[in-house]
Amino acid sequence: MVLVGPSGCGKTTSLRMINRLVEPTSGRVLLDGRDVQQGSAARLRRGIGYVIQQTGLFPHRTVEDNIATVPVLDGWSRARARGRARELLDLVGLDAGLAKRYPHQLSGGQQQRVGVARALAADPPVLLMDEPFSAVDPIVRASLQDELLRLQQKLGKTVVLVTHDIEEAIKVGDLVALFRPHGRIAQVDAPEQLLAAPADDYVSGFVGFDRGIRRLSFLGTDGLALDSQPVLPADATVSKAAATGLPWVLVTDGDGRPRGWVPAHRLSAAPGLTPLGEVPTDGFGHTFTAGVDTLRAALDAAVLSPAGEAVAVDGAGRVTGVLGYDQIRAAIQAAAELTADSAGDLAGDIAGGDSG
Amino acid sequence: MMWSWISSNEGMIWQETYETAYLGVVSALIGLVISLPLGIVAARWRWVRPPVLTIVNVIYAIPALALFIALIPSLGLTDTNVIVALTAYSLCVITPNVAAGIRAVPPAVRQAATAMGYGPLRRLVTVELPLAIPVIIAGLRVAVVSGISLTSLGQLIGVSSLGFLFIDGLQRSFPTEIWVGLVLVIVLALVCDLVLIGIRRALTPWASRA
Repeated sequence: MVLVGPSGCGKTTSLRMINRLVEPTSGRVLLDGRDVQQGSAARLRRGIGYVIQQTGLFPHRTVEDNIATVPVLDGWSRARARGRARELLDLVGLDAGLAKRYPHQLSGGQQQRVGVARALAADPPVLLMDEPFSAVDPIVRASLQDELLRLQQKLGKTVVLVTHDIEEAIKVGDLVALFRPHGRIAQVDAPEQLLAAPADDYVSGFVGFDRGIRRLSFLGTDGLALDSQPVLPADATVSKAAATGLPWVLVTDGDGRPRGWVPAHRLSAAPGLTPLGEVPTDGFGHTFTAGVDTLRAALDAAVLSPAGEAVAVDGAGRVTGVLGYDQIRAAIQAAAELTADSAGDLAGDIAGGDSG
Repeated sequence: MMWSWISSNEGMIWQETYETAYLGVVSALIGLVISLPLGIVAARWRWVRPPVLTIVNVIYAIPALALFIALIPSLGLTDTNVIVALTAYSLCVITPNVAAGIRAVPPAVRQAATAMGYGPLRRLVTVELPLAIPVIIAGLRVAVVSGISLTSLGQLIGVSSLGFLFIDGLQRSFPTEIWVGLVLVIVLALVCDLVLIGIRRALTPWASRA
């Protein structure tokens, strides 16, 4: 679950009401069907992991003691808590050698991983994350986001994440709640629905002008009609290539890997029996792996290709065919018809319960 | 300089040095013990801070000799008199540092501690106070050094310390004695300061060596 919206929209306040860092003035917050206001706040909080942008690591404690914080509060022995800390270091992809370091000796990305490990230490069912990746550079951020998705898949926690970055919301969220200013929710939906069917102008404006392109990230590339006609091996002759009558042919090497596109006018300038391998090519931009990469990657490959067609490869990098704009458009239309049927289902489930 | 005077009065010189160290260190430590709760309260409740900090400043402005004399009716011409007065001064230096040190704990750290389920007291003892140690010890260093220096004034109400060497040397027009007293006060203050720096390093292994 991702809460996203402009600054001052109340997304962080909403998050903090879950672990009672902010007490609601009216209404209730239900966690697992129980009102969080019942019982002690400290006890509630030990069952909820919390990760913040500035990490909030304790500067005076080593990495392992930072991670062991909640287990120690829960009365674990120090040795057992430190053992647990080592497990978590491994889980978040940090070297065990960092255990005895102090936070200021780590990079920003490493500190953020320690923050996540600390939040997970007592194995809480719920994890709250407040702009967890905003303070690191884009490359580290992308890897931390991937890591979060991996952890989420592995551990099955309920994660509530606050961000102002709609890209991040769409990448990591199963559900996205988009806030308007003053704490009102504009739309709660699966990210692809948010892109495909924004509820109003506010939502489509926030999602961005290229939401159509970004939505392609949710569409796969299996079952596309690939064209193998322009694909020819390096030992085929120029006259054979010219006989296809195509404006461009794609030349592959002995292993079937792409070598590059050759335009028709260059073919007609060369003697008919020349092997294609001796004709200079214009390259091929980049490839996409059919069935693995998304339609967005395929479209990008087409845009960057000199021939305007994307080169599809298999897992071993061998060309399986090429894909033109027409086929990409057909795939988008087919997907649009599919999603139009399921639109709104998720939104109906969530509406009304903005606390969970 | 009459070096022979030093060797023939060695016992007395050591005794006065010990007295000076004792008065200075004990009053700074009592000052620390009183400053901790005062500083904590001042850091925690915003409205307590201005009156507390104003009061300690006013105390600090009282001339030492006047304070010694003012205490004579109740405490007489005793060590206690000097210790009470010097404690009052050390309080003035340490309390603001305790409050500042706690307030300097990054808000994110405090928030994270709360969010992980620390109660206010536990958070204070295990997170905020440890992080405030460098600032608190900085205050303690000033308190100890100025305490050792002020101890000499106690001699004016008859409380023995290295101050004796100043007054005695002046009355006898004997510079050697004054120089010895001066050097010892400075050396003593430096030694105490170094000891405190060592303690801070031992207590705060996380802090960079700067």
